[in-house]
Amino acid sequence: MREAPMIQAIAKRELMVLDGLGVRLQGTYHRPAGGLSVASGAGDRVGILFVNSLSLPRAASGDSAVHWADAMAMQGYPTFRIDLPGLGDSAGNASTDLLDRINGGEFASVTTAVMKEIVSRFELSGLVVFGHCAGSVSAVYAGAATSECRGLILLDPYFHLPQAKRPRLREELSGWARRSKVGGLLSNLYDRTKKVSMRLRGGGPPGNANLQLLARWKQVATAGMPVLLLKAPGIKAQGTKPRVGEFDYIDHVMKLAGRRNRVSAEFVKGADHSFANRAGREAVRKHIADWLAVHFPLADFGARNKSNAALRARKDSNESDESQTAAEGQYCAVEGR
Amino acid sequence: MQGQGVAVTNQLHENEQVEERAGYFAVSGAHLYTVLHEVAEPLARVLLVGPFASERHNSYLPWVRWARFLAAANIEVLRYDYRGVGESTGAFEAMTLADWGEDVTLLSAWLKERGPHVPLVLHGLGLGAVLAGRAFDAGVGDGLLLWAAPANANQALRQTLMRWVGLEQIFKFGDDRRSASDYIRKLEQGSPLEVDGYTWSVRLWQESFRFALPAMLASEESAAQAYARPVRMVRLTREAAPLAKGGLVGFDDLKDFGWLYGPNREWILAAASMGPMSREGIDHA
Repeated sequence: MREAPMIQAIAKRELMVLDGLGVRLQGTYHRPAGGLSVASGAGDRVGILFVNSLSLPRAASGDSAVHWADAMAMQGYPTFRIDLPGLGDSAGNASTDLLDRINGGEFASVTTAVMKEIVSRFELSGLVVFGHCAGSVSAVYAGAATSECRGLILLDPYFHLPQAKRPRLREELSGWARRSKVGGLLSNLYDRTKKVSMRLRGGGPPGNANLQLLARWKQVATAGMPVLLLKAPGIKAQGTKPRVGEFDYIDHVMKLAGRRNRVSAEFVKGADHSFANRAGREAVRKHIADWLAVHFPLADFGARNKSNAALRARKDSNESDESQTAAEGQYCAVEGR
Repeated sequence: MQGQGVAVTNQLHENEQVEERAGYFAVSGAHLYTVLHEVAEPLARVLLVGPFASERHNSYLPWVRWARFLAAANIEVLRYDYRGVGESTGAFEAMTLADWGEDVTLLSAWLKERGPHVPLVLHGLGLGAVLAGRAFDAGVGDGLLLWAAPANANQALRQTLMRWVGLEQIFKFGDDRRSASDYIRKLEQGSPLEVDGYTWSVRLWQESFRFALPAMLASEESAAQAYARPVRMVRLTREAAPLAKGGLVGFDDLKDFGWLYGPNREWILAAASMGPMSREGIDHA
């Protein structure tokens, strides 16, 4: 039998296998520009770890995670993308209640195990965990569970408990509301009714809030962990503000974060929920580059990056950018719930 | 549930009986990401030619599970990402269908060389069916399995576009909604189109009309007349989502596809029992 000509490493990337609590996990390592040696400050350096967004493979929609990981590595940060158990190329089988499991923090322990392994193997000071949508839920849980976590990058995080699949009748009603003018008017009326109902309830989180996740969020945010929270335009939403009648979770988590927080919430105009479209992808790349340069400056790259680092001030609650209706939010059982 | 470990662990060990080796395979100007589901003494080898671009992400889990299902039955499998897609390198917008056809040829040759006496089956899904069918027609492989084969690459692109537009419309209201024909018009007027994070070049769109499944693969009957090698063509219904016809990622891709895998594995084993075919003088066409 001929030996495989398949190679494990190419110019900027390397395939890696990790031990996820006894589960074989497949990952990709994006080597940092300038290399990673102790002399270049590897011991003080943080890396970036991408976790899966729901059941998507580690490349993510439109291969956006590959694009961002390449960019972060170019900036000098060792970057890792892994498939969690049962996802992508990793061993195991995910079950149909994957979303519920993620929302309950199922992946926290395996993510922290992987983080310890990477930190040890690459002699890093810690990792920033990057999660999109359901991945951001796993990232928050992991952030609260290990001291190896030095920061979080969260794209379109959610803090409620969504249904994986909505009833068919509700889907059809929503579809009709989007297509027809009368449906649109009724949809607006419905939103306003929900708003009144929310006010009558007293302004607290709704019954389907993920209280366990909110507690973990509070833990990491009040401890002063740097967090970059990026929000794509939502359905009938205005900036980071939600659709009329929906609870404003971003406002809520910012309040929970306390005075010492280092949370930056940014609205990514022109993005869709996947952030994979060109405009969204590029905007995310820039936001992250600026944020990393401020919170995790590199000895080798610091001077250059600091000059580019115009970290935007946290958006105040009166976001002025008008929302564009979210576009390609496909693939995701969470979006639009 | 935090701290309770990972619920999938129990199912790990049966998969671990088969070694899965990820690697990069060098092609002109890029590296293909490949995963070999290695089997010590395989009854057959199968090259999985997956679906197009964004469809890769939709169907990734059922596709990987299919590979593991085959490997567990002593069938060695090689799956890969198209040039410029997923973990493979290369700029997607610069790729042509001919490039992706070359990927099939190169990987088939490598897989065949691992053991010339073991039958090689090509299995394509969606656009992958067109690529696999064309390679088979050119004499590659001892058997061909096609799932949801379109008549040509343009049909595959349209299906991808339709799915994307359909999902996009979920998030649009009234006049903001665009139809598939609006986007097709844009392509036909000479502008590239971004679909799901991939930029479709005008050249790709134009080439897709000419890049057809060979006429002899229009049906199993015509294939039986044309080739002395076994061919199976499977139409996938909505039940097979997200491998075909929509589906919700994070839900439908986690379903049990045993009903689809079982009969197709049996077909591969039956086809393999005929042994590897000599290319010369066997096919009628």
